[in-house]
Amino acid sequence: MSDQTHMHAEHDLAPGDEEQHSVGVRILGYVVGLALALLLTATSFFIAGTDLVWQPSIPVALIVLAIAQMGVHLVFFLHITTGPDNTNNVLALAFGLLVVFLVVGGTVWIMAHLNANMPPMDQIMRMQ
Amino acid sequence: MPAVPTVEATMLGKLDWSAIPFDQPIPLVAGAVVLVAILGVLIWVVVKGHLPYLWHEWITSVDHKRIGVMYILLASVMLLRGGSDAIMMRIQQAVAYQSQGYLPPEHYNQIFSAHGTIMIFFVAMPFVIGLMNLVVPLQLGVRDVAFPTLNSVGFWLTATGALLVNLSLVIGEFARTGWLAFPPLSELSYSPGVGVDYYAWSLQISGVGTLVAGINLVTTVLKLRTKGMNYLRMPMFCWTTLASNLLIVAAFPILTATLAMLLLDRYLGFHFFTNEAGGNVMMFMNLIWAWGHPEVYILVLPAFGIFSEVVSTFSGKALFGYRSMVLATMAICVISFMVWLHHFFTMGAGPDVNAIFGIASMIIAIPTGVKIYNWLFTMYGGRIRFATPMLWSVGFMVTFIIGGLTGVLLAVPPADFMLHNSMFLVAHFHNVIIGGVLFGAFAGFEYWFPKAFGFRLDERWGKAAFWFTFLGFFVTFIPLYVAGMLGMTRRMQHYDVAAWRPWMIVAAFGMAVLTIGVICQILQLVVSIRNREALRDRTGDPWDGRSLEWATSSPPPVFNFAFNPDVRGEDAYWDMKARARQQSLEHDAPEYRDIEMPRNSPTGFVCAFFATIMGFALIWHIWWMVILGGLGAFATFVVFAWRDHDEYVIPAEEVARIDRVNLEERRSLVSMAGAI
Repeated sequence: MSDQTHMHAEHDLAPGDEEQHSVGVRILGYVVGLALALLLTATSFFIAGTDLVWQPSIPVALIVLAIAQMGVHLVFFLHITTGPDNTNNVLALAFGLLVVFLVVGGTVWIMAHLNANMPPMDQIMRMQ
Repeated sequence: MPAVPTVEATMLGKLDWSAIPFDQPIPLVAGAVVLVAILGVLIWVVVKGHLPYLWHEWITSVDHKRIGVMYILLASVMLLRGGSDAIMMRIQQAVAYQSQGYLPPEHYNQIFSAHGTIMIFFVAMPFVIGLMNLVVPLQLGVRDVAFPTLNSVGFWLTATGALLVNLSLVIGEFARTGWLAFPPLSELSYSPGVGVDYYAWSLQISGVGTLVAGINLVTTVLKLRTKGMNYLRMPMFCWTTLASNLLIVAAFPILTATLAMLLLDRYLGFHFFTNEAGGNVMMFMNLIWAWGHPEVYILVLPAFGIFSEVVSTFSGKALFGYRSMVLATMAICVISFMVWLHHFFTMGAGPDVNAIFGIASMIIAIPTGVKIYNWLFTMYGGRIRFATPMLWSVGFMVTFIIGGLTGVLLAVPPADFMLHNSMFLVAHFHNVIIGGVLFGAFAGFEYWFPKAFGFRLDERWGKAAFWFTFLGFFVTFIPLYVAGMLGMTRRMQHYDVAAWRPWMIVAAFGMAVLTIGVICQILQLVVSIRNREALRDRTGDPWDGRSLEWATSSPPPVFNFAFNPDVRGEDAYWDMKARARQQSLEHDAPEYRDIEMPRNSPTGFVCAFFATIMGFALIWHIWWMVILGGLGAFATFVVFAWRDHDEYVIPAEEVARIDRVNLEERRSLVSMAGAI
């Protein structure tokens, strides 16, 4: 078992595998990540309830904050980098993003068209 | 004043004696026969003293080959269950012309729902996952999968799901909603019984098992490959395994989430898919098919891989267009996520949406066509041996092309408006799933059986099984195409149209032929086990194979390979054999080393035991038992996570002793071939 895993280990690491940094550096990374994640979460809650900003911008702001949150998690906790040791993880992430984009985008598109083609509710009621 | 609940009512939830269908002889007798058979086997096992052997060598095994064999065994047993359902439905439709037939509607509805659920989730899935488990680590030249214990957990959770589905035969009822439990029919207001709960919880539990298997196999292919096994040197089956398991990892969470929402509707009064309070049933169709379409490629891609291996081996040639095959596989993997709307063209998304998804569905035929041509060109000019696996493969090509063509027809939205929900559709998907997946599973079974057990299967019975199944398939399903064209809708318990009758009778006759095929397959197994000494394969390479699974003994030792093979090109083992013949073999004794292997673990079995309790309790609303089962499963996980020793060492002398026997056989084979 072990001899096979080590063979690939030089060029290709699983998330959480890297041991090259000292403990202090790694703890600092997690603390920064946690702080950023908390900051983004707090901002989201604040934005959702505030009337300080233009109201229609709130959903967009929440989406932006959510995506930033995902980025923080990927970089600080899942240790996705652009280095050559991360090709598999980046590819897996890309495939995941593609599937999410296809399914969510497709669903929104399909359901919007369905609703557009539905007669208004009062008409359906009259048909019954 | 509200009635005070009795102790039994609170202790046992919805469960009482009325759950057992004393008034319905068919399920009760079937259940009794199965129960007696299981008890008989158990008593025989205990009396003969096989229990320790079964426990240590199989139930707690984390060996990928053993787990693969258990998956296939589960699939075969469930195939008999799902097949019995099919026989009952064909007989019902043959007799139920202007009469009620012999199956009352509520029973007939349970049968077609159980047939679909079992055949997809507990036959096709475990069969292909079993074959992948058995073969992929061998083909990659490694000693095990990435997560051996998790693999065992995955298998046992799948078995839990199968057990719950079969339990519904005698305790309670199964869903009457079809195999995808469409709401609002599957909501509490229209299905108040436990049927849909049996369906949903068994799929939730086995779905976890499938996801676990998917993660495991993806990691295995990406991370564990032997020296020199680049991506573009992997056998085709490893590529299709990678694609199929990527789809599992991406698609099964959608199924889990969708069923979770349905369960929230049913258990906690949510309104995701109800008619009232803003629920949207169309969202269920959308989500379930966003999983459902990739699912069919999850099943058929491994089958494509099996055919690639078989066609190349039995034509004695390298696979034609290997790179185009890889590209086609990965193209199917991505496009399969872009076509799901073709399952509900008639729902009313309008011409724009329908047209785009229709075109995307037709485009999938292109990479599939590439594959078909590649197999044909592999055969072209080859010295073809028509052994049983090859027969299944050629039979597949003929059958699958017809199924694929009717599929392209159904991908045209206007045609689909005419044919949807008809027997034509039923004939189409049986044509691709039987012709593609089941033929593939049988080809793989015949092809790799000698690898798993060390003896070949009887060719005469195998060929008989093929011809009866092949012909029986056409006699059964071509009439269903015709009946669909004549306007017959699917899932009819009885009908009054005289024109459909003859076709239903022909289909029932075809089912009888198919049944003979299945019996031949069972007899093949029995005969082969009896004659196993004569059919023994000592070299480990009975078919003159090309990939690494044939480079070790049959059955392979627990560590698969004494040395990690060194791969220098495609068709790794074929190259090794060629090199060995040219250079004559180096006869110096290799230097064996200790090998570390993962220890057996009962984690999977114990987890599944608690999952079964929890699933059963959830179905019957026995809340204390739910908590008990959940705690038990968690405790099992904790015990496993805090284990001290997870590997054991096989000493070098032992490795040498095991390996030398096979090495001698193999050398004599190669030198004999060299002499010719």
